[in-house]
Amino acid sequence: MSVEISESFWLWKFLGHLHPLVVHFPVSLLCVALFLEFVDYTRKSKIYARAILMLLWLGTLGAFFSVAFGLVLANTEEYGGDDLPIHQWLGIATLILASATIYLSHNRHLRTYRLLLIATVLGVSLAGHYGAMLTHGSDYLSGTLPATHQDPAPSPSQFALTSTTEELDPNQLQELNIEVRTILAHNCYSCHGEVKQKGDLRLDSKDALMAGGENGPILQPGNSGKSEIIRRISLPANHKEAMPTKGKRLTSSEIEILRYWIDRGAPWPEGEERSIFRMAEMAPRLPQVPQGVYKNPIDRFVNSYFQKLGLKWTAPVDDRTYARRVYLDLIGLLPEPKELEDFLTDNAPNKREKLAQQLLNRNDDYAQHWLTFWNDALRNDYTGTGYITQGRSGITPWLYSALAQNKPYNEFVHQLISPNEASQGFIKGIKWRGTINASQRTEMQAAQNVAQVFLGLNLKCASCHDSFVSDWKLEQAYGFANIFADTLLEINRCDKPIGKMASTQMLFPELGEIAIDASTEQRLRQLADNLIKPADGRLYRTLVNRIWAQLMGRGLIEPVDVMDNLPWSQDLLDWMAYDFTENGFDIKRLMLQIVTSEAYQLPGTSVKEPEILMNQDYQFTGMVRKRLTAEQFADAISRTFVPMYADSSLSDKLPEEIKGKIPFVRASLVKNDAFLTALGRPNRETVMTTRNTQANLLQALELTNGQQLDRTLKEGAKQWKQHYPQPDLLITEMYRRALGRTPNQKESETARRIVGNQPNENNIADLMWAMAMLPEFQLIY
Amino acid sequence: MHHYNWNRRDFLKGASAATMAALAASLPTSQIITGCSPKPTASADTVILLWMAGGMAHTETFDPKRFTPYETGMEGNRVLSTFPSMPTVLDGIQFSEGLQSIGGVMDKGTLIRSYMAADMGHILHSRHQYHWHTCYEPPQTVAAPHIGSWIAKELGPKNPVIPAFIDIGQRFTVGEAEELKAFHTAGFLGNEFGPFFIPDPSQGLDSVRPPAGMDSQRFERRNQLYNELINNSPVGEFGSDYQRESLRRSMEQAYALLNSPESKAFDLSTEPRNSYDIYNTGKFGLGCLLARRLTEQGARFISVTTEYEPFKGWDTHENGNSRLVEMKKQIDGPVAQLIKDLDQSGHLDRTMIVLASEFSRDMMVEGRPDATVKEQVNQPDILNDPKFYGMHRHFTDGCSMLMFGGGIKKGFVYGKTADERPCKTIENPVKIDQIHQTIYHALGIPPETNYEIEKRPFYTTPDGKGQIIKELLV
Repeated sequence: MSVEISESFWLWKFLGHLHPLVVHFPVSLLCVALFLEFVDYTRKSKIYARAILMLLWLGTLGAFFSVAFGLVLANTEEYGGDDLPIHQWLGIATLILASATIYLSHNRHLRTYRLLLIATVLGVSLAGHYGAMLTHGSDYLSGTLPATHQDPAPSPSQFALTSTTEELDPNQLQELNIEVRTILAHNCYSCHGEVKQKGDLRLDSKDALMAGGENGPILQPGNSGKSEIIRRISLPANHKEAMPTKGKRLTSSEIEILRYWIDRGAPWPEGEERSIFRMAEMAPRLPQVPQGVYKNPIDRFVNSYFQKLGLKWTAPVDDRTYARRVYLDLIGLLPEPKELEDFLTDNAPNKREKLAQQLLNRNDDYAQHWLTFWNDALRNDYTGTGYITQGRSGITPWLYSALAQNKPYNEFVHQLISPNEASQGFIKGIKWRGTINASQRTEMQAAQNVAQVFLGLNLKCASCHDSFVSDWKLEQAYGFANIFADTLLEINRCDKPIGKMASTQMLFPELGEIAIDASTEQRLRQLADNLIKPADGRLYRTLVNRIWAQLMGRGLIEPVDVMDNLPWSQDLLDWMAYDFTENGFDIKRLMLQIVTSEAYQLPGTSVKEPEILMNQDYQFTGMVRKRLTAEQFADAISRTFVPMYADSSLSDKLPEEIKGKIPFVRASLVKNDAFLTALGRPNRETVMTTRNTQANLLQALELTNGQQLDRTLKEGAKQWKQHYPQPDLLITEMYRRALGRTPNQKESETARRIVGNQPNENNIADLMWAMAMLPEFQLIY
Repeated sequence: MHHYNWNRRDFLKGASAATMAALAASLPTSQIITGCSPKPTASADTVILLWMAGGMAHTETFDPKRFTPYETGMEGNRVLSTFPSMPTVLDGIQFSEGLQSIGGVMDKGTLIRSYMAADMGHILHSRHQYHWHTCYEPPQTVAAPHIGSWIAKELGPKNPVIPAFIDIGQRFTVGEAEELKAFHTAGFLGNEFGPFFIPDPSQGLDSVRPPAGMDSQRFERRNQLYNELINNSPVGEFGSDYQRESLRRSMEQAYALLNSPESKAFDLSTEPRNSYDIYNTGKFGLGCLLARRLTEQGARFISVTTEYEPFKGWDTHENGNSRLVEMKKQIDGPVAQLIKDLDQSGHLDRTMIVLASEFSRDMMVEGRPDATVKEQVNQPDILNDPKFYGMHRHFTDGCSMLMFGGGIKKGFVYGKTADERPCKTIENPVKIDQIHQTIYHALGIPPETNYEIEKRPFYTTPDGKGQIIKELLV
């Protein structure tokens, strides 16, 4: 949108410039009018009545011209900011008030007239005040008052910004410099950095910043008042020289920090620059397990976390809730009534642990559940773009057996990065026909996906240009992508070649080297060898955090793909990751550890808005209630009422022998369809590690009148009618299967009213539908 | 996440400057507010996209060139148009034969003759369609949203019971369905803003009424049962939970839509016979009728497609001439009637209609005239069979588009293509990001609108840089 101010006609300019002169008339005339009215009022006389009226007329006329010229001025000159509209409206209000006062003075509604006159004077005074702020600055008046000599607005800075005399020690100088660079990075780099240098200005290095832009230096060390950068960032938003032109304005504390930094001489410490972005530690770390009564080390860490925050343990959930939770979390299925019964009546003290272990031992059920998560993460699907031209290959049989056999995670990763034919689909990416953006070539897709999925690191920005949100550089991204490339890649910046070939390098050289002259196959093996080293704490923290997030509804770190963010407990994360590498990289063992912890057994918690879960100051108080995934929901329908999918829906990309291993056709094994899509199964074109699980209208429509569910419930009703001709039995059985409990009295009555004495298919289908829509059915609580 | 709302202060600024200055100094309003309106003022509330799927040849439709009738043994290079030209309501503007009805409403809209599709190596329907609908070239590192999803996200539904983004006419059981799915999505915006599909407009009612075989009484009773069971079940212990709340709320919305009087709009059988007959040229025509009825009830974004299926519809790899006779029959009446109906009911003022295709076609040139790309079609230089008479190759450099209503100029023509082969754009080239930005602008959505995904601001047009084509707007 252009904010061009066209060159104005001289007359408008002239009239506009009269505004500051004219405004003094209404101010003084109206004030005198009020004063005389006050004199009359105290003397109970009418001596000045005629004079007051004349003053009012003159003052109103003056107000009229002030408003008119003022509006012209506002639009011919570059005024702006928050104060302008207030000033403008106050002026207009004064004009209206003054006119009304004249009108009432004739009618002699004495009280109203006097009140109006007071209001008029108030209006004109305020308008005058705001006008003064526009010309002289907002603290022109208030700045002289003793009470407003406050310290600058509190800022995240640890410096007393008021002091310019006190010496800063080298560490403080570093900190100040980092803060300044952080502000510049977030607000300025996108136009004055590596990619663009608007006005020939770069702000991302000391030399460039000191050199200034096409109009010369942008700052004068020691004098923020004469520094162009300060002037520009302080201008009102709609001023045409205001910076930044795009995005949000700098906050006053940010401006204050820049000002302070310049006044201190714009210090920029010599030597290696410290990063402005947080980068997580790479090395594994084994924190000492805290002392305590809890058996499970996870609980000891949670306990000390609770103590630190003053949080209290609450009683664990009951057996029924635990069973439902652990069934859905580990194998994705609702417990059968019989299974639940056995568990509830088991008296063994360690029965929860026993149950969890039993579930984890159900290799195929486990694989069929976790296939969903890994298909999303590894961008693997049975249909999708790319297959049509052999531009993509699936890894389903490999993945299925890796999960069913609980392949150690280090091997799992190794085989995906240094693949055989069955597992190569992940790093091969999706190849589109025609030319594609350089940042999306398959080698770069591999680099991005390996970084995201295994290292919780975003390389996407850096694959186009140096990242604005991390320290990753374009050349590093290309260096990493080169490992996957058969022929050396040429570096492209924003899809344009820069005339330089990429080197070949690890993202974290401390993990090992990659031989440049080796074959692709050898390079991939080296890469895999390097990445799975126990020294790669990042790889294992990322995995542990993902599993924790799946089971607990929120990771120790969120988003789970940004492992440089801080966890709510570094010790717990580090300990779990370390323990994982020390015990065979065994994902099932990790899961067992988590689901048998007291922390997992705490009552479910919830938030009002999903965004709250992403807050960096999130506090763990227990598992966050989750919605069933599309697949879990479909399976729950299948298991409770009647199978939703026929054998013919099974994807042909599954392992041959799958049919013998499924209790029914599970939704993770079928091709994506309208029903699953509506419930959140993604198009697996890109990596997806967290699904959006909030319900929405399109989903509800699919559930309310979608054919797939409707057909299933019709079929289910038919079968149930035969099996359970007796209504009470039918209702009880449905509650047991769907919710793992018997109905309470009210529920029985309501259901009974619907199904009647002789249940017919429609009534049964309706009851099924209503049960399936219940939050109690659709949530893991 | 960035939300750009019309903010009260901006409004005051604009309004005060305009009205008071006009009052006080009797200046022309427009001059006063120059530089004072940071947010676009919406001139449209609804968008209807009429999608000519498969590549509509400009020289055979809205930009006809010299007509050469078929003769066996003729040189393909001599043929620019396989139809004669017919006059339109605009002086000096002709359309290809078979589009006279649309020609008759061109005084109500703008004809663009200079749309240039991107060069993406091979000229491929699925990639170019992806590009047209998302403004981004595939593949992307994140799932890019369809323009309808952006609009649904930024503006929400116009009428709360009509889904904000409705997609009429496309089935996903045809060839290249997966490629079509890749852009018929809200992508990272979340499926809340995804398309509500009505693959067959004559079955539109089925999407918004109780499942087949369930009468409204039973439907209502089922909902009551659901609500009673919720209230009776011990869900109270779950407290206020966004999951539970969103489940209930979405279910209420679904029931509200399914029970609303507006849902009658989906039922084409209630349309008066004579009107229905004008629209009934097939699925696309009925799609236009459904779009009109939904617009009247407050739809936000509707896409009606002639449906993409490889080698069907506009995707003429042979028999181009005879196939286009059919295609024109399908679109001419309904499109013109849609414009007339919305004009008559006054909805055209706030409804923008865009008719477009992913690229054009030519008999000889594949892709860009000056670039060599892979031939997608077998087309002999000498025509010995009428099946080769037609525009069969994919041409990117001169495509026609129509725009009507919602602030678009009336009786206006923009851009020009050469009169001799290659019939490419020679005046006012138009790119997809300009089209998108112009649509967003008309809807009051600022150009810097973006969504932060994986810490990267993803703009409605790449880098937020799409330029509005001011010439198209009133």
